[in-house]
Amino acid sequence: MSTISVDPVPGRSDEMVVNMGPQHPATHGVLRVVIGLEGERITRAVPHIGYLHRNHEKIEEARTYFQVVPYTDRMDYVSGTQNELPVVLAVEDLLGVEVPQRAKQIRTIFFELFRIASHLVWMGTAMLDLGAITPFLYTFWDREIILGIVERTAGARMLPNYYTFGGVRRDVHPEFFKDVADFLDHMQRRMPDYEHLVLENPIVHARTKGVGVLSKERAIARGVTGPVLRASGVAYDVRKAFPYDAYPDVEFEVPTSSDGDTYARFWVRFQEIYQACKIIRQLLEQTPKTGPYKGKVSPRLKISGERYRAVENSRGELGVYVVGDGSDRPYRIKHRGAAFTNLQVIPDLFIGAKFSDAIAILSSLDPVFGEIDR
Amino acid sequence: MSLLSEVWQAVKALGTGMATVHKRVYEDAPTEFYPYVQPDLPAVSVQSLALVENEDGSERCIVCLQCERACPAQVITIERHRNPEGKGFLIDRFDIDLVNCMYCAACVEACPVSSIVTIQDFEMSTYDLHTLKADIDFLHEQSRRSRRWYSPKFGVEIRTDDGKIVKAPPEMQPGGLAELLKPAEEEVDQ
Ligand code: SF4
Ligand code: SF4
Repeated sequence: MSTISVDPVPGRSDEMVVNMGPQHPATHGVLRVVIGLEGERITRAVPHIGYLHRNHEKIEEARTYFQVVPYTDRMDYVSGTQNELPVVLAVEDLLGVEVPQRAKQIRTIFFELFRIASHLVWMGTAMLDLGAITPFLYTFWDREIILGIVERTAGARMLPNYYTFGGVRRDVHPEFFKDVADFLDHMQRRMPDYEHLVLENPIVHARTKGVGVLSKERAIARGVTGPVLRASGVAYDVRKAFPYDAYPDVEFEVPTSSDGDTYARFWVRFQEIYQACKIIRQLLEQTPKTGPYKGKVSPRLKISGERYRAVENSRGELGVYVVGDGSDRPYRIKHRGAAFTNLQVIPDLFIGAKFSDAIAILSSLDPVFGEIDR
Repeated sequence: MSLLSEVWQAVKALGTGMATVHKRVYEDAPTEFYPYVQPDLPAVSVQSLALVENEDGSERCIVCLQCERACPAQVITIERHRNPEGKGFLIDRFDIDLVNCMYCAACVEACPVSSIVTIQDFEMSTYDLHTLKADIDFLHEQSRRSRRWYSPKFGVEIRTDDGKIVKAPPEMQPGGLAELLKPAEEEVDQ
């Protein structure tokens, strides 16, 4: 399919070219990286993407705004409702809809629940890549609780189609707040276990410390966002820089690390789970148990104008650029994927690393191919 | 010295790992014994679609085509003709391609009479995809088989043993149904 040459570099006949993926279990989906090896050192790394391409942007141009929202779910499928929010915010801005405060709070609770769910999946699969199976079983066990809470309210586990213009589709389940509080208590008991199994694990230290160092300058130049950027020492977080929904009302920190290595990226994601729990706890106190959950939006909305809105999803800045031409369908929708942009550092980090380190580096980038290939 | 400390580190790490894992041995296993024990799905869970008939066997659907228009995957095909006696329309064809349906429940939300509903029957795996190209008989059969379904307008409804359709008691309903009924009326006014 590709025209990029996989031949050895002329005059370097000792270089061996290896295809990593697209069916390699450690590539988190369908990433194919053409890797040039000299002994165990990587000399070249060319990522190839597009094996999961579904033409999201073009399909969405042919759909009404209401129909676009369920499609966005299919991008970053491990973090569910987080994908819906950019489109919803952009359309709300263009329409000038008043969103009830309670709807914003519910949206933010879901947003942070999915951040925990996504980081749990990352933790399990990253440890699987490093050769540990047990954390994977435990993280999926805990993630199952989140998905159960989501299903009780939204009707689906991974692709809920729950946010809508002006709020959320339906009110939360009567026991939603109790379920979430129970889950947070459960997480509080679990987190020390995860710290023991992952962050304090000497094997993890040996495999990740000092491996795949991404300097601050390089990270900014490549445009990475999210935990990968914050692990390189840049405290950029869309939730703080351009607050949306209920984030202005809650207190949280943006964990950063100056090391920029694989371990730092692990550490930052761990701290984000703690921060997400903190945010949800505050919101559980603030959110009224009953009240409006949806603003008034005409079912036949028409939009003209253009707008870029971004949110901080589990992987970084997930943005969308919506152009409306006055009809009920978008003229153009462009998604700015966080995982897609974070993938651009693969050549920087891979070249010079050992082959087995490449697996650890890749899992620390936490790519999700639904969003990268779109 | 460093060898000793390395060995100590390894033993300590092993010990921590074993202790952490051992704690879980006494917890309840999260395993679901699915084919033997049916999972208890929430009433709003979207597993499949069905077309509900009234108790007397007449069609609830008024063939307004709202669901066809709302469907993002464009998998609903409806054909209708005018009712020769009386008003309204009659169904010629009502097909849902359940293979390409993405179970977003947009159609269920759009239906003004809660005719198309979500059900919790998920056992639809098949070797032949054509069996999932649902026509109106298939959709009616789905609703006859299910004891409980959900639509945003009416909430959870149950079919009793003697074939009556009743609204589920409040403790079975998902949240916010009272408020849901209000915007539904307002939308009709518009
Ligand atoms: S659930 Fe969604 S995709 Fe399936 S028929 Fe209804 S509107 Fe279409
Ligand atoms: S929206 Fe409801 S009433 Fe209208 S055609 Fe569809 S199923 Fe029938």
